[in-house]
Amino acid sequence: MKLLDFVVQKAIVPDLVVSSKDDAIKAMVSSLKDAGIFKADDEEGVVAAILKREELGSTGIGKGVAVPHTKHPSVDRLVATVAIAKNGVDFASLDGEDVYILFLLVSPPDRPGDHLRALETISKHLRNENFCNFLRQSKTAQDVYDLLEEADNDQLDQ
Amino acid sequence: MNIVIFGAGTVGTSIAEILCENQHDVCVVDVSREVLDVIEEKLDIQTVCGSACDAITLFQAGVITADLCLAVTTHDEINLVGASLAKAMGASRTVARIFETRYTDTSTFDYKRHFNINHLLSLELLTAVELAKQVRSRGAFSIENFVRGEIEVQEIAVEKSSKAVGISLKDLKLPKGVRVGLISSGNQTIIPGADDAIKAGDHVSLIGTRDTIESVKKKFEHKAPSRLNVVIAGGGEIGFHLAGILQKGRFNVSLMESNEKRCEYLAGKLDNVTVLHADITRVSEMEEARVGKADVFIAATGRDEDNIVCGVEVRELGCSRIMSIVRRPDYANVLAKLGIDVSVSPREVMAKQVLGLVETGPIQARSSLFDGEAEIWEVEVHENAPITKAPLKDISLQQCLVAALERETYVKVPGGEDQIQAGDNVILLVGKDFTEKSLEFITPVKDS
Repeated sequence: MKLLDFVVQKAIVPDLVVSSKDDAIKAMVSSLKDAGIFKADDEEGVVAAILKREELGSTGIGKGVAVPHTKHPSVDRLVATVAIAKNGVDFASLDGEDVYILFLLVSPPDRPGDHLRALETISKHLRNENFCNFLRQSKTAQDVYDLLEEADNDQLDQ
Repeated sequence: MNIVIFGAGTVGTSIAEILCENQHDVCVVDVSREVLDVIEEKLDIQTVCGSACDAITLFQAGVITADLCLAVTTHDEINLVGASLAKAMGASRTVARIFETRYTDTSTFDYKRHFNINHLLSLELLTAVELAKQVRSRGAFSIENFVRGEIEVQEIAVEKSSKAVGISLKDLKLPKGVRVGLISSGNQTIIPGADDAIKAGDHVSLIGTRDTIESVKKKFEHKAPSRLNVVIAGGGEIGFHLAGILQKGRFNVSLMESNEKRCEYLAGKLDNVTVLHADITRVSEMEEARVGKADVFIAATGRDEDNIVCGVEVRELGCSRIMSIVRRPDYANVLAKLGIDVSVSPREVMAKQVLGLVETGPIQARSSLFDGEAEIWEVEVHENAPITKAPLKDISLQQCLVAALERETYVKVPGGEDQIQAGDNVILLVGKDFTEKSLEFITPVKDS
């Protein structure tokens, strides 16, 4: 599975400025809605589902990255967006550090296998330090998109 | 029905008792022969000694031909594996009791689907939902829960000069998760359409998810009633879930817990609850927590005796409404005498669920609204039921409203474009003269 199979180009947020974890999630879901991924009516439900998941344990997995995710019937395919927060967000991460790179994933409930493959794909790339460093330096949505493409094509050194 | 129960603890034993009374064939599996001997003396059941995770034991217990397997041991993991094995071996339906509600979250991993179990039941959450229902019902208006507490039906009286008066339902802009099921104006009760309007003095029943109902109630009230002060004693799983539910409503919630570590955990999870580190068995600490000034006190510790004693204590201190969790049936008699107003037992909560599961027809639970003017049905939709054949807008239901729909683990209020599928749970609101007609829509038709 490739990142660009499910990352929505129009929803990438290269300059996320927020003061809390909740606001970060709201902004990213809102960006997916603006890209036409789901109806405005469903926005609140998706945010609530993701926050509920965060309550069980943060998806801030350390090294400045977080992967908030949920399953929700408002989407009919896997969708994700990427946000870069230059100033960092307190995400109650495992290592206590702020988060700078966020991948937010929403999948339909009846595709549990694809959901896990997508989480695996994201996690695999985020383990590459080069990928993370370049992502944090991205200035535009196009920069982020190009980087995801390079990662998909294994053009980045480990 | 052939029913196999894993675990002969308090819950397993009481389920076996209920099912025996209802003439079902019951087999109980437990690792302890002594425990099984005790239950065998009381009840006419089969027993098999062994682990619920052991296929040979399960084979001996007859899971291959079982209609229902209930895994209710004290270990979540054993329940998950046991129920999963039973299903794979041939049981028609399986239920696992779970303590950790994180097993029901599907965001990262869908345990229910992975283990292929029909229902994951948290008895602690269900008990909390039942208690919350009691706390929240003020005056004569009833609240009913369906679909394991996910869906709520609430009656309310529309006050004069509330925002909703005179506005047609389609202009009322109710959020997606809720709808007006019935309007009763004294002499007649209707299931309203989009153009019907509400008058002052009407009684309406709202159907929807708990949180959304709470948020729309204010449209029907002149002004919000004052907030009640609620004190919960005991921050175990039940107390935790109860506080979590009540903090979203019109309550000031305090939660008392004696373990300091647990207090820290609770305070971190419950943003709008005052968590007090206090020992409820000490009167001085109860006084400090000002329980005497509380409108409602709920004793929810793990010990019946503590719950009863501190309930009586708090009554002496001046609290007017006392509720208590009482697990042992033996105590039921003395409670009223001691001035405890409401007692909720997890056994009874479980019994309600289990009796729904052994229903052979499509209707799992039913209750009536507005003095029998209408009924609410919780329905499990089977293959070939006429209601599954077309989108809802093309199904000519008369005085029958599909008020809510549960598919997978998601609950929603369906619209006209939605189509019901086999395996869905639906909540139907049915006018009293249309019950037979409505039943036809959910009764499977054999292909000819």
